[in-house]
This record gives sequence, C-alpha cells and structure tokens, in this order.
Amino acid sequence: MTDASAPSAAATRLAASGLPAKLEAAWPFLTLGVAGACLPLFGDTYWGVIAARACVYWVLVSGLNLVVGFAGQIAIGWVALLTLGAYTTSVLAAGTVTPPLSPYVALALAGAVGAVFGVIVGLPALRLRTFYFAMTTLGFATIVTQVALAWQSVTGGGIGVEGPVLPEPFSSTWGFYYFCLGLAGICTWMTANLAASRFGRALVAIRDAEVAAEAAGISKPRLLVAVFLFSGAVAAIAGGLFASLQSYITPDAFTFDLSVLFFIAILIGGRGSILGPLLGTIILTVLPEFAAPLVAWSTFLYAALLLIIVLALPGGIAALLDYKNRRPLKRNREIVPRPDLLAGVLARNAGVGALTLDGVALSFGGVHAIDGLDLEIRPGEVHGLIGPNGSGKTTTLNMISGYYAPQTGQVRLSGTTLPPRAPHLRAAHRIARTFQTPRLIGAASVLQNIMVGGTIDGRGMFVESLLALPRHRRDEAALRAAAMLALAAVGLEQLAPVRADRLQHGELRFMEIARALMLRPAFLLLDEPAAGLSAEEIRRLGALIVAISRRGTGVLLVEHHADLIFDICDRVTVLNLGKVLAAGTPAEIRSHREVVNAYLGA
Amino acid sequence: MLESIVSYGLAIGGVYALIGITYNVMFTASRVFSFTAGMLGMLGGVFGALFINRLGLPAGVGFIATLAAGAAIGVVTEAVTVRPVLKNLEQHLYVLSTLAFALLVQQFTAIEWSTEPQPFPRLLNIGESMVDQQFWLPVLACATTIVGLELLYRYTLVGRAFLAIAEDSYAARALGLPEQNLRIASYALAGVIGTLAGFAGGEMLLAFFANAPMLNFYGFVPVALGGMGSNRGAVIGGLALGLFQQAANFLVGGIFASVAVFTVFIIVLLARPEGLAGAAVTRRV
Amino acid sequence: MSITRRHVLAGSAAGAASLAIGLVRPAIAASEPIRIGFLPALTGPSSSTGIAINRGTILAVEEINAAGGVNGRLLELITRDTQSDPTKAVNAATELTRRQHVHVVWGPLNSGEALAATPLIARDGVPQLDPCWVDTLTDVKKYPLAFRNAPTNHQIGGAANRYVLGVLKVKKVAVIGDTTGYGTASVETYVPMLSAAGATVVYHGETDASNPDLKPELLRMREAGAEAIMPWSVNAGFLSRIINTRGQMGWDVPIVGQTTLGSGQTKALLEKPEYWDKVYQNNFRSCSYDASGALPARTAAFVDRLQAAKIEMGDTLLWWIALGYDAPKLIAETVKAVGSAPDQIGRHWNSLKAWPGVYGDITWTPEQHNGYPDDEIVFCQASSSHGGAFKVAPGYGA
Repeated sequence: MTDASAPSAAATRLAASGLPAKLEAAWPFLTLGVAGACLPLFGDTYWGVIAARACVYWVLVSGLNLVVGFAGQIAIGWVALLTLGAYTTSVLAAGTVTPPLSPYVALALAGAVGAVFGVIVGLPALRLRTFYFAMTTLGFATIVTQVALAWQSVTGGGIGVEGPVLPEPFSSTWGFYYFCLGLAGICTWMTANLAASRFGRALVAIRDAEVAAEAAGISKPRLLVAVFLFSGAVAAIAGGLFASLQSYITPDAFTFDLSVLFFIAILIGGRGSILGPLLGTIILTVLPEFAAPLVAWSTFLYAALLLIIVLALPGGIAALLDYKNRRPLKRNREIVPRPDLLAGVLARNAGVGALTLDGVALSFGGVHAIDGLDLEIRPGEVHGLIGPNGSGKTTTLNMISGYYAPQTGQVRLSGTTLPPRAPHLRAAHRIARTFQTPRLIGAASVLQNIMVGGTIDGRGMFVESLLALPRHRRDEAALRAAAMLALAAVGLEQLAPVRADRLQHGELRFMEIARALMLRPAFLLLDEPAAGLSAEEIRRLGALIVAISRRGTGVLLVEHHADLIFDICDRVTVLNLGKVLAAGTPAEIRSHREVVNAYLGA
Repeated sequence: MLESIVSYGLAIGGVYALIGITYNVMFTASRVFSFTAGMLGMLGGVFGALFINRLGLPAGVGFIATLAAGAAIGVVTEAVTVRPVLKNLEQHLYVLSTLAFALLVQQFTAIEWSTEPQPFPRLLNIGESMVDQQFWLPVLACATTIVGLELLYRYTLVGRAFLAIAEDSYAARALGLPEQNLRIASYALAGVIGTLAGFAGGEMLLAFFANAPMLNFYGFVPVALGGMGSNRGAVIGGLALGLFQQAANFLVGGIFASVAVFTVFIIVLLARPEGLAGAAVTRRV
Repeated sequence: MSITRRHVLAGSAAGAASLAIGLVRPAIAASEPIRIGFLPALTGPSSSTGIAINRGTILAVEEINAAGGVNGRLLELITRDTQSDPTKAVNAATELTRRQHVHVVWGPLNSGEALAATPLIARDGVPQLDPCWVDTLTDVKKYPLAFRNAPTNHQIGGAANRYVLGVLKVKKVAVIGDTTGYGTASVETYVPMLSAAGATVVYHGETDASNPDLKPELLRMREAGAEAIMPWSVNAGFLSRIINTRGQMGWDVPIVGQTTLGSGQTKALLEKPEYWDKVYQNNFRSCSYDASGALPARTAAFVDRLQAAKIEMGDTLLWWIALGYDAPKLIAETVKAVGSAPDQIGRHWNSLKAWPGVYGDITWTPEQHNGYPDDEIVFCQASSSHGGAFKVAPGYGA
C-alpha cells in the first residue's frame, strides 16, 4: 500500500544522497587521483613535466569552468590572468621590486591580485552581450601582454624574468609534480562542491534560464562577482606555477593559442560538468606529446575538435559519459498531483495583505499596453485574469513580477510599493510565478530545476559551499527534501533524476509550478499553465491550484481556457485593450454582455 | 607628420570599416556574430599574394579570383558553422562554431602558406609617398562598397529581400521569401566584402596569417561603437579608429597605442553597451 | 623473514646477471648512436636563423655518417621544432634530455627560447652548444656545461659601435629593437655601450615586429636628429619595413645593425632593390669577400661542398649555414677524442683552443664559455650580397 502522507519509497531512493550515491559520483575523480599519484611508477621524469603542466592548466581551467561552463560567459581571453599571476609571483619571488618573498607567499599574493583582476576582466559580462564580452576579454589579454612588454623595470620587458623556484621538497621534478597535483586536487574538490551547491545550480540557471533565475531571486551580479573572484585567484596561482614550470617567462610565452586551449578544454569536456573539462584538459595537454609533428598542428586539432563538438556533440565528453540519461523513460506517464502533501510544502501565510494594482498604466511607444488598471489579489483566493490576445494579461503579470515599471500608478503588497524593475527581489516577498513558455534548465535534472526555486532559502555562503562546510550540507539536505516534497505534491517525483529536456510539455508545466512552490509563495502568478495540457491534466491542474489557494496563497491565474477559469476562480477580471472590461464572480462574468461580445462568444 | 597620420590612418581605417561591414552583413542575415570576419580579411591578402605572386596571374584576374574564393568561403561558413546552430540561438553556440572555423583556417594558412608575412604585389603604379595607391585603394574600396550596398538595398529586389529578412524573418518567410537562400547569398556577399578589405589593404598589411585576429578585433570596434547592423556607423567608426590609432602611434609609440585603443574601446562599450548609435534591447520576457 | 637458500640463490643469480650486464654495457654504449638533440625554430616569427642553420647541420651529419661515423658510432640528429615559442622549447628540451637521453643539446637558436630552456638542460647535466647572443646565456657557475660557439651581444655591440663611431664618424644614433627577448636585450646592452663610447643616443625603443607601420618611429628618429639607424631583430619583416620606410621617406642615413638585414628573406620583402643601399649589417670575416672578391680558403671549400649538395645559399646568410655545419663537426671530433660522457665532453671543451670551424676558430676556458674571437666580427654591405656572403663595408679597416 502506498503511504499517503509522504513521497513514495521509490522516489526517496531515487533522490538519495547517502554514501553510495556520493561514491558513485566520486569514483572517476578518485581513480584519476590514484593514477596521478602513482605516475612515478610507470613514467619517467619527462612525463612528470607533462603531467605537472596538465595539473597547472587544470588549476586555471577549474576556475574558468565556473565562468564558461557553468555561468555561460564566453571568456576567451582568460590567459590575461595567467600572465598576471606568472609575473606577480616571479617578480615577488625574485625581489626586483620588493625584498624577495617566499614562493608560497608570492603565490598567495598573486592569487589575491588575480581575484581582483578577475572581477575587473569579468565585470563587463554584466553589461555586455555575449560576443561583445568575448571581445573585451581578448582586449584584456592583449593589454596585459603589452604592459608586461612595456614595464621593463619590473617585468624585464622582452627579456622576461626568472620563474620562482619552490623550496625542498618541491624543487625536484616529482616534488613539483606532487605540489601541482595536490593543488589540482583541491581545486577539483572545491569546484565539485560548488557545482553541487545552490550556487552551482544558480549559475547554470543564469546561463540557461536567466528570466526564471531572476524570478527565483537569484542576483546575477553578486553571483558572478563571487565566481570571478574565485576564478581569477586560481588562474593567477596557476600562473605562478606555470612560471615555475617554465623556469623563465617572457611575454611571448602567453599566446592566444594558450587561451584557446583553456577555453576549448571546457567546451570539449561539456558545460556544467567538472569531470568533463578535467578530462578535456588532460587530453589537450597530453595529446601533442605523442607525436612530434602533432605539436605544429596542435591548435588546428583543438579547433577541429571544438567544431566537431559544437556541431555533433554539444554536451561534450560529459554528455558521452552520462549513460544514466540514455535509459528510456516510461511511456504513457501520468501526472498525479497529491494536494494533500501541500501542507508540508507551503507555510500558512498569516498576516499578509493583498497584492494590489492601483490605476496602473504602461505604454510601449504609441501602444497603450495597460491603460488604467485596478486589480486586487487576496490571499487564499484564486483570481482569474482573462481577455483577448493583446489585452495586456502577460504585461500585467510581468509588471507585478518587476520586469516593467508602471508609468503611472503603483503595484503594492500589503500597502507597500514593490520596487519596480527589480524582478529578483520579488522572491524575497514570496511572490512566485510560472511562464507562458516553460523556462527550464534543459541540461539539469528535474530535481535540480526544482531546487533552483529555493535558492534564496540557503543560509550558507559561497565560501562555505566551496569547502563543503556543515551549513552548506544542511542547506543541501533541506533543499533536497523540500524539492522532493514539492515534486511529489505536483505528481512528478518519479522523474526527479531525469534531465529536464526529456520531459513532455505537460510535465514541464507542472515542473514550473513545483519550482514556484519552493518559495512557499504568498502569491503565485500563473501564466497560461493549462496551454497544451490534456483535459484530464487540466482537471488535475485545477484541483492543485485550488488546494494551493486553500493553504492561504493568493493565486493570479492568466488563462485562455474559460472552463478552467469558471471552475476554480473565486473572482475574475476581464481585460480588453489594457482596460478592465468587467470584474466580479465567475457567474457575473459569464453572463456579462460586453464580455460575451468581446471575448467569450455566445 | 599630420599628412602621414591622415593618409595611413584613413587607409587602415578603411580596411577596418570594411571588416565592420562584413560583420554587419553576416549579422543582419542571421542574427549571428561571426568570428570569421577577420579571417576573411586575412584571406584577401593571402589569396591576392598567392594568385598574383605565386601563380603569376595578372592583377585583375587575381583580384576577381580572390573575391570568388571569398564568396566560396562565405558559403562554406554559413553551411558549416551557422545553419546547424540556428535552432539554439540563445545558447550562443555560433560563437564557438565560427571561432573554431576561423581558427582552423588561420592555422592551416599559417602552416601551409607561411608563419611569416609574405610580400603582397604592388597593384598599380600610381602615386607615391603620401598619395601612393596603397593608401587610397582601401578608402576607394570602402566608398564603392557603401555605395554598392545602398544601391543594392534600395533599388534591387534581392537587396530589399535582404532587408526584409533582417527586419523580421518570420514575416519574411510568411511572405514566401526563401530565407535560407537569402542567408547563403548574404554570407557569400560578406565573403566578398571581407576579402576585398584584405586585398585592398594587402600592400600595407602584407599576406600574413596573424592579420586574422588583429582584423577580427579592430574590425569589431567600429561595429561595437557604431551599433551592430549600422553600416554607416561602421564606416565612421572605422575611419575614426584608424586615425586615432595612427595618432596614438605617433604620440606615444606602438605598445601604448594598442593599450590606448583597447582601453578606450572597453570604456566606451561599458558606457554604451549598444554602441553609440545602436537600439535598445528588446523584451526578453 | 629468514633468509632461505632460495633467496641466496635468487640473489646471486640477480647479482651475476647485473654484473654481466654491467660488463656488457660499455660495449653496447660504445656502439650506440651519438644522439644530438637539435632545437631550431623552423616556423614562426624568428625562424630565419633556424631554417638556415638546419641546412648546415644536416649536411654535416650526413657527411660524418657517410664517412662511417665516429669510432663506428653514427650520429643521430633528433630535431624538435620550437616554433619560436618558449613553452614548446621547454617541452621539447625536456623530452630530449629525459626521454631521448641525448648526449648533447644543440640549440635553442633564439634567445627567448634559450633563456627558458638553458636552466632546465643544465639541471639535467647535459652538455649544450648554443649560438644565441644574449649575454646571460652562459654562466660558468650556473650552467657549467653550456658553451657558446658564437659571439655575445657585447662583442657584436662593440664591433657595431666601432663601425658607426669610428668609420662612419656619426655622433647621433637611433637604436631600435623588436619586442622579443633578443631585441629587448640588445637595445638594453647597446645603448649604454654607445653612450660610454661617446655617442648620443637620440632615440631608443622597441616595437612589435608585426606592426605594419613603422613610419611614426622613423619620423621620430629623424626629428630627434638621428644620423644613423641601428636596428636589432632577427625578424625579416620588421627589418624590411625599416628599410622600406627609410626609402619612402627619402631619408639618406646609413642603417647599421643586425645580420638579418642582409639575408635573402629581408631582400624579398623590399619594395625597391635600391633601398638596400647604405645598409651595413654585422657579418664575419670567414664569410666575407676580401678586396679581391675571394672568400677565405676554408670557406670557399665549404661553399663548393654546399653547391655539390645543391644546398641553397642565396636566400639566406652563409654564416648561419656555416655555424650550423660546425656544430656537429665539433661534437663528432669531441666524441672521437674523449667519448660521449657529459663530464668528459665538458672537460674537453673547457680546454678547447682555436678549434678550426668554417664559421670561426673557437676557444674556451674554464672561466670563459664564450668562444668566438672578437676580431672576426666585421661589417658588410648588404647590397653586395652574393651566395649569402658579402663584401666588407667601405672604410672598414682591419
């Protein structure tokens, strides 16, 4: 017999995060780590140098992976930070400007400098479009190289400067290799922790579904700054290690080819993955060493690999390794929501006032999208908003969500005006929404998509996630449990581990509702949730919406399905050409002559 | 000194402007920013030197052959790097596919042609020193292209079809315009303009594979500042950039000049992300 | 664990086997090839030297092997193209010393790459022959097995300064280099030397070698009143642009500088052949035509051998080919004399006296690993180029 008060046992197993699951995720890394540690047994010191180089590159790529693979920013010119870190470490260790510092101190200081410059190089990403940002990073790469050339008194100009030499026991080939291997391992661990945290999911949300991320309360600037700080720091440290490996650096060692190598390693490995880019970096570093003629053609091969990946296998190596998501899904799946579980998902909303729009007007150019609108959504009520196409329904929703600012009038919650043009602040007010076209992160699992909805509930900070500290683990456990409950409530818990882009359209609609429920919303805005659903699914959707509102949530339902509206709404407002045509109970609206003329038909 | 700044600055500015127009033509046809604009410019110089110097063809024939090769490469670009990724425009995969293709061609050129700049033939024996033909050829090419494009867009059916696709591709398709063929033709046109830029500037820049990333960047600056899609903005921006770069070269020397250009570019872009003449971002929700 | 008879037998067997192998090894070593690790830049912006030196080196190796090798051992030339990239040079040098176990490293041939690779080669204790000019590349304490078979920047600069100040009698000089390690080091070395010798350096700086327009730099030189231009770069494109711009400006001053000014690669990039007039580049007496138009006997014989082997000389410089030829010859004669162990090679080279190479007579001591004689450096006329060799410049004394 199924337990009526909790998600099914099978679903709980699916979402398990105990030791077996952790081991399953970790074994590729552990294998690589052990193989790396045993390298001296079956390789000579030449391979030690090559392997050390791969580790140094991975230290940089692990950070860049967060920027490119997770946040989706096309930062091609990241070699600028490698150059910066290399020169900073070398100059500090050599003592040309300051008294000579210990190489460890020099590396740490280079990391700090790199963090700051990571933010400087990365900041344009917040203002510029993708391609433009890519160009500015290339510009930075050139600037740094030119400055290194010109600032002869410090950098030695074209002559260059000696790289730092690590003290015993890291000065021998194998000693240095183990040092780099250790740092590479730490970076892998930290970025893997971040990937499995709310910050990692939020980054992917920004990349693939920025609008939905904003609605979930994710602040793009703050998150990106944190990522650039981390990325810049590890890139600079990698630069210091690079200088040590080279034993001597000159500006012409920091080529555009190197930048391309890092970038391509991530794309070949697959975005949103840690293991993929790690394998990509190893492959791209080691490949040219297998045949001398390959060295001249190496950049050509990298570019060819990139083109093949983009065209044939956009998911990269990670997609190849993702055998779990190639298992066929059950056909004829049914969505069976369990409204009785909502008690665990939603809190009782006490003391929250109504969401009101007073005399709101908004025009786009000459078009009066909204022309004087009064609307009141009360807690515990389902309020329908209907009208012909172009009447301003979705614009109203977007205005409440904060994407547009009203030119006259106010949007208020419990009497306080909501800040306009700040959609990411709505989540804190417990206003959640779904979208006309489902905004999902196709590459992430359904569970991860839902967990994105609860991002702002996490208490742990970025650094705590990097280091997997207790508060981060508590956050994750709580988010996971809440997400599973929300999934069960909408009837999708069987699909928790499945990639979201494999779902049917109807399931995506319910998935969006589950994500919105993660905010324990005081107000839920639904934008045509019934579009594309079958009749039975619409019926179940209606029951779910009613149950949500009975728990105290105020629901604004924008819809074209008149039956659904009249079935479940407590109040209905009809819009036409941006103005309220009629407002009242469903019975009143159904017989209202003008509404019938303009919209419903006889 | 002033005459040198003006003559070289306008000449190199004309090359930058033409590369900017190449970017524009590819963008308006497909909404794609393509990394291949600089590559086309580089190929203009390399093909010119190949056909005229190595293969011994007369200058006129070599010129036509270069433009034809450019058109062919433009068509290949569209088929290989743009068409397959048009379905997922928001994922910006086109940035990667065009980058990969440009790198492939660039590296191949480096290995097969030479890693060193090779001589470019002297095209006409007119003029010397400041008014040598190597300085006014790019400007002439730029002016001809602008006039040609205006005539194309305004007075021919094909040109107006290009504009329609750029304006609203759904409506254009609904009207029965063959969107795919028009896009292919646009890329061929972009190939012609790009190689024209490289050929006209060949005597200054020589036939050198490393011209590709340099033209990619310096050709993008006028577009970024003038607004993507605006050819007039690209021309003004390109000429201004050429003059600014030359003036900086004279006043502060080579290294600081390029730092100056990059810094100004980044600052202007941060202040006006859509360019000085560009349109605002459309609704995203 | 107690020692059983089985252990003793096994141990003795192992011991006997290793003893036998040890005895056999010198015999194997005695017939294994002499591996020379070669690190030229055959592609990339600084490849003109590498391409030419490569021709001479390959010819020498072929000649030696055709004559039966050295004490029955053949020379094996293991070449790795550094592509003018210090990163690739480091990788390649490490591969040669640790994987290929070469006996001697010849190269790298460009200063930027040598600066990075030399410490690593020294750390692995492999003898190294290097022809780069940057002074810091030899250091008897830091790099005891690194020997230079070419002049240093200091020697070249001294000769250049003597020509400009002493022969051309010019007081105001403009010194320009490219932004590579070699260009920067040269400018840094020569400017103080010129000032110390009594000249006024009215302009000095470095420019990116791929900068297509050098007009601003030359105009600045002219405005500062320069009476001679001294360019230091191995990049033919860069040097040709300086020559072309001087010609376009119609500015009649001598150009006195780096040897690549006279190479065939530079000539190919000149706009007009007459631009090559009044260009004087450093060269070496061994590869210059004397007053009667003849090369020294040793060199003439070498040129005959090159022509017989159909090796091209006119598109490059003869002295590069000669330098490339001398290195394997020196290595072969060293191994013939003392064998191929590193310390023996080092000891032999430390006491080398006037070894007769085609390019020049090399002398080393334990305190001095720069082996090229001062007085072999001369200045020549670029436009007198013939077969990669030149006439000595006018007014140049003994």
